[in-house]
Amino acid sequence: MNWHYLVNELYYQRRRTVASIIGLSIGIALLIILNSLSLAYRQAAHAPLREIGADVTVQRSGDVPENLAGVVFPCSAVTIRDEEVKKIESYPGVRGTGKALLLWVFDPNRAWIVLGIEEKNSIGPAVLRSSVTEGRFLEDGKTEALVEAAYARQFNIKTGDSISLANRQFPVVGLIDASRAAKIAIANVYVPLTVAQDLAASSSQVQSVSPFARQDVNLLFIKADQERITEMASSIKTLMGKGAAVATPDSFLKLLGSLFALSDKFTFAASLVAIIVAVLIAFKTMAGNIAERAREIGVLKAVGWTNRNVVMQLLAESVIQCFIAGIVGLVIAIIASYGLSFMKVSIPIPWEMSPTPHFLPGGGDQIFKILRLPVYVPWKLALFGIALSIIIGGMTGALLGRHVSHIKPSEVLRHE
Amino acid sequence: MSNATILSGTDLSKSYGALEVVKNVSLSIGAGEFVCLVGKSGCGKTTLLSLLSGLEKPTSGKVMLDGKEITDASEDELALFRRENVGFIFQSFNLIPTLSAWENVALPLFPIKMPGEERERRAMELLDKMELGHRTDHLPSALSGGEKQRVAIARALINKPKVLFADEPTGNLDSSTGDAIMEILNRLHADEGVAILMVTHEVELAKTAERLVRMHDGEVIS
Repeated sequence: MNWHYLVNELYYQRRRTVASIIGLSIGIALLIILNSLSLAYRQAAHAPLREIGADVTVQRSGDVPENLAGVVFPCSAVTIRDEEVKKIESYPGVRGTGKALLLWVFDPNRAWIVLGIEEKNSIGPAVLRSSVTEGRFLEDGKTEALVEAAYARQFNIKTGDSISLANRQFPVVGLIDASRAAKIAIANVYVPLTVAQDLAASSSQVQSVSPFARQDVNLLFIKADQERITEMASSIKTLMGKGAAVATPDSFLKLLGSLFALSDKFTFAASLVAIIVAVLIAFKTMAGNIAERAREIGVLKAVGWTNRNVVMQLLAESVIQCFIAGIVGLVIAIIASYGLSFMKVSIPIPWEMSPTPHFLPGGGDQIFKILRLPVYVPWKLALFGIALSIIIGGMTGALLGRHVSHIKPSEVLRHE
Repeated sequence: MSNATILSGTDLSKSYGALEVVKNVSLSIGAGEFVCLVGKSGCGKTTLLSLLSGLEKPTSGKVMLDGKEITDASEDELALFRRENVGFIFQSFNLIPTLSAWENVALPLFPIKMPGEERERRAMELLDKMELGHRTDHLPSALSGGEKQRVAIARALINKPKVLFADEPTGNLDSSTGDAIMEILNRLHADEGVAILMVTHEVELAKTAERLVRMHDGEVIS
């Protein structure tokens, strides 16, 4: 293989070189963009759960309480028994859990959405600790409350005030702006989990709909191994039976409605089409190249180049061209990804995860998590694109070999 | 000038399907001999040249070059045989358009492992001999017809061939340039003792050769 000949061929036959590079680079760019986009939707689908430090949430739907008075469970979140929690914690792939208790408290002159949260846990609503805007976070076991900042403004509640929930007084120790941090597991008032469990256990409305012991909860947050989430979600559904609602990144992905989000198969099929198009373009260009250069190949053979010499020369040209096409395709994909990363995606939060009763103002509205689509080209995908373009270059060489061996110098060199 | 036989074809025939292009031809060329093959267009001259040079395999008969039979050699063996023993000059020059004059001359040496400087030196030397020392870096598109053919002759000589095959070497040139090319071929034959087999349909050109072989309808007639 002669480098000088190769470089001259690519340089002086610019039209041919550029045509083949453009064709293949579009195929490679398409492949990288499609997969980056698919990956971005997958990452976006993690956002609602990642905000509260979890990969999976578990709820159980139940009956609507007869009277909406005092402490009640939302019908979308009834008792998850402590032994169920312990069983789930033992499942393979579970790296940790966070617990919470969502209550609706209907007092004579006000309805509260109350969330009982653990004081210290990196999984679940305890991560909202960083969203405290005034005062302090909850302390272990104390009967005290944090109030959502917007709610506090609306009802003129201040740190140091005392609020009454189900006939119990709760000093307000701080304000929290959780609604900006997360779209799920948010409430008007946050109290320690144990205190919320006391409220639920002593509520006849709760007990009448869904028997509740002091150690039980109604929201479970799980941090899990990514590759075991699907299997784990299935086991949880089996354990909890009818009414189990298990939210995973995949379930959010389905809510996105995009073709890329809906199906791996679509991305795979589209990628396959892109690869096939890229391969066909490379083959077609190379076949044209050979036809155009039959005379030249005849000269090479006539002056003593063996088939192997000729194939190696043309193969090197093909691989270098395809490598350049891969680089160009990658650059196009990076630029396109940057452009696509300005796209916004709205992830609908399922109604059962919305804490607000549908009969209260704003309760029936669909909540969305809106974020910029995190499109980027991962280095592994970039390497794959380049490697694929080199492989395509090599594959054309195999075809090339057959063509070259069929070219007879005596036939192509006969004078016109 | 003729010595021992360097190239011989015995009972050579070549058919393409039902069409017999070369019919039972035997032809020998002595070392350093200048032989001209003449005949009308389509009479089988170029095919015979292809058979004798190892560009094509005969349907029957055998070809010996420098005592070795090449008839049954594989395609790659024939390529190596051509690289080491013969040189070609074509009517339409057949230079590689993307290579400079000296690179075209060095083309047969590209697959051989040798220092690049040595390859270039040998090409430059031959171009100097062809009085093209000032055109070494020019692409074929920047050369005249005569210059292109001189580059092609230099290319044919780079591997110090035993036999030079020239297929209508002046066919694409005007008469004065054609004469100049013939002068070079005669000089090569006279000074360096290279055997030459030239195909032409111009009897006047053929007269400069030592021996004239006439072909008609695939057969040697004299």
